[in-house]
Amino acid sequence: MHFLEKELNQLIQFWDEEPDALHTLRSSAFKQYKEVGLPNRKWEGWQFTDFSALEKTSYRLASPGDIPPVPETLPTIANCNRILIINGHFQENLSVLPDKVTVQTLQQAYATNPEIFNKAVVNNSNPFHNLNTALMNSGLAIIVGNNAVIDDPIHILYYTTGLTEPIMNHPLFLIVAGADSETTIIEHYAGATNVQYWQNVVTNIKLSNNAVLNHTRIQEEDHNGSHIADTVYSLGKDAQLNAFHFASGSSLYRQNIQVNLASSGASSMVNGLCIAKDHQHLDQHIIINHLKENCNSNQLFKYILSDTSAGVFNGRVIVSEGAQKTDAQQTTRNLLLTDKAMAHSNPQLEIYADDVKCSHGSTTGQLDENAIFYMRSRGIDVRTAQLLLISGFAKEVMETITNTNIDTYIDEKLTTWLEHIGVTL
Amino acid sequence: MLEIKDLHVKVEDKDILKGINLTVHPGELHAIMGRNGSGKSTLANVIAGQESYEITSGDILYNGTSIISESPEERALAGIFMSFQYPVIIPGVNNTYFLKAALNAIRKHQGKTELDAVEFLKLIRKKLAVVEMDEKYLHRAVNDGFSGGEKKKNEILQMLTLEPALAILDETDSGLDIDALKIVAAGVNNYRRDDRAIVIITHYQRILKYLEADYVHVLINGKIAKSGGENLAEQLEEKGYSWLDN
Ligand SMILES: Nc1ncnc2c1ncn2[C@@H]1O[C@H](COP(=O)(O)OP(=O)(O)OP(=O)(O)O)[C@@H](O)[C@H]1O
Ligand SMILES: [Mg+2]
Repeated sequence: MHFLEKELNQLIQFWDEEPDALHTLRSSAFKQYKEVGLPNRKWEGWQFTDFSALEKTSYRLASPGDIPPVPETLPTIANCNRILIINGHFQENLSVLPDKVTVQTLQQAYATNPEIFNKAVVNNSNPFHNLNTALMNSGLAIIVGNNAVIDDPIHILYYTTGLTEPIMNHPLFLIVAGADSETTIIEHYAGATNVQYWQNVVTNIKLSNNAVLNHTRIQEEDHNGSHIADTVYSLGKDAQLNAFHFASGSSLYRQNIQVNLASSGASSMVNGLCIAKDHQHLDQHIIINHLKENCNSNQLFKYILSDTSAGVFNGRVIVSEGAQKTDAQQTTRNLLLTDKAMAHSNPQLEIYADDVKCSHGSTTGQLDENAIFYMRSRGIDVRTAQLLLISGFAKEVMETITNTNIDTYIDEKLTTWLEHIGVTL
Repeated sequence: MLEIKDLHVKVEDKDILKGINLTVHPGELHAIMGRNGSGKSTLANVIAGQESYEITSGDILYNGTSIISESPEERALAGIFMSFQYPVIIPGVNNTYFLKAALNAIRKHQGKTELDAVEFLKLIRKKLAVVEMDEKYLHRAVNDGFSGGEKKKNEILQMLTLEPALAILDETDSGLDIDALKIVAAGVNNYRRDDRAIVIITHYQRILKYLEADYVHVLINGKIAKSGGENLAEQLEEKGYSWLDN
């Protein structure tokens, strides 16, 4: 994979204000990456996704020349603070931030918060993560102060548009929710372009003791985009995470989610809705690590798959030896709208403690013919009946979005998506 | 209003209905009785347009025109309603939303203006009162978590709201407690009008005590073996079905 190495060399060569230590970090991460290369189907945990397309295009890192005029209409969610990033470039003057939240560039974070920074970039078995460390060229550190209660969500919009040639970005987001803080953060990727692009994101989120964080991740990249993401959550004592992952975009999507329940009393709810059509391939791989006692975790993931799309859900809940009184629930449900759509679900439980409550379940089905007939027999046409049933399927997980403005945004996306969707079963 | 002519129906290569003839005029109430598995629900479903049944011969006329090639929604819009023996749960679809969508589809078809949320609520409250249902059922998903009896009342609520011309009630009286049975019967009587017809499929004479049936038919082995008045139901109650076997 020539272009990656070429881009790394150029970056190290021309970015001379970057500290030597970071250069060294990049080189060693790249070495790690190169030893194994991109995942292939023989790798455990990666068997359902083909990444070879990423090597077929010579992406270059986004450069300062890649900032088009800021589009007049950008996706907006009502009543939010905003951090705007266009083609990888932070638009500070177009961003609005609340007090009690510090936003730093990665260089600043490295200089002032090396501990946070270094924890996020440690060598990883995920080659995309190492590649991100080697090539990180965008992203921010967002630090919510201790005791801060931020009412309006912080909407990070990462928008890709107006490309003239294939670019890639390797954003790193470092998010820290201070002790006893309460925040809602929306990590939002969207794009509109005719040119291919590749996002390789790492998001490292730390919830300090007793922090409450609502994290909504919206991935609605252009279909010319490939989106790879590694999202790691670490929860302190009694911290509470409510995460929602909505994915409708990109042709190729792979997200690794890891939740580390690292102190007692922490609880996490990580839910998601994935909707795919055409030839999209949306893959999510989730690990919940119950490391300490008295933690609970909940997962509900739903996939709605049309056309020739594929959805992959691989969920592992690992309950370590000391993690007594763990309560872990995992559910995944797939709805197939055509006979060519494919779902792969693989929920796994690994339990090394004895006093625990764990359950997992996975179902894959089609629209219920009886329900369709029931609605039709009341005068509702087939198409409407199908759409009602599909949105009914999504509702259970949609209801877990607590912020109404976020809910409205995603609900509108779902409605628009449904209007154009094919149902052939 | 409804005319069924020598109707033969197959399901998965099995002959279920073997020559049904039945004529229902406006204002009439017909009861259909018969053993389990005799084909009563098949008949109801075929009239409503369930596509998994194959009509091998015969015809169903509604107001003089054949409906066998019409879709279920076309039949519903034309005024045919079936109360399901087993009402279906529709997860995530709100009962109010569903009923309002159905009513407005029918109103639109009739060239009437669609009702907005407030107008609909006013209407539905009146209908809820007839079947003594609490408004909270409106906020649930359709039939989701409803008890057997509540589902049946919900079917009657739909009938009262949609005001079809022909209502086929498939065992709407089964599984009801004594009070609920009276409520359902009251709902049917409330709906009944000279220009409307009702076909009620039942196993029990008890509902017929509240409803005046003009005809009682007995379905045996895919055919109407006997027709008569209400006293036929009494005879069946006493003697069972075997006296009609031959
Ligand atoms: N989808 C189907 N596939 C196979 N067999 C079917 C199907 N639907 C109905 N049948 C069969 O057709 C016959 C008639 O069924 P139907 O439901 O019409 O009976 P019924 O008279 O309504 O009985 P009950 O009084 O128990 O409700 C039964 O033997 C039933 O098993
Ligand atoms: Mg039946």
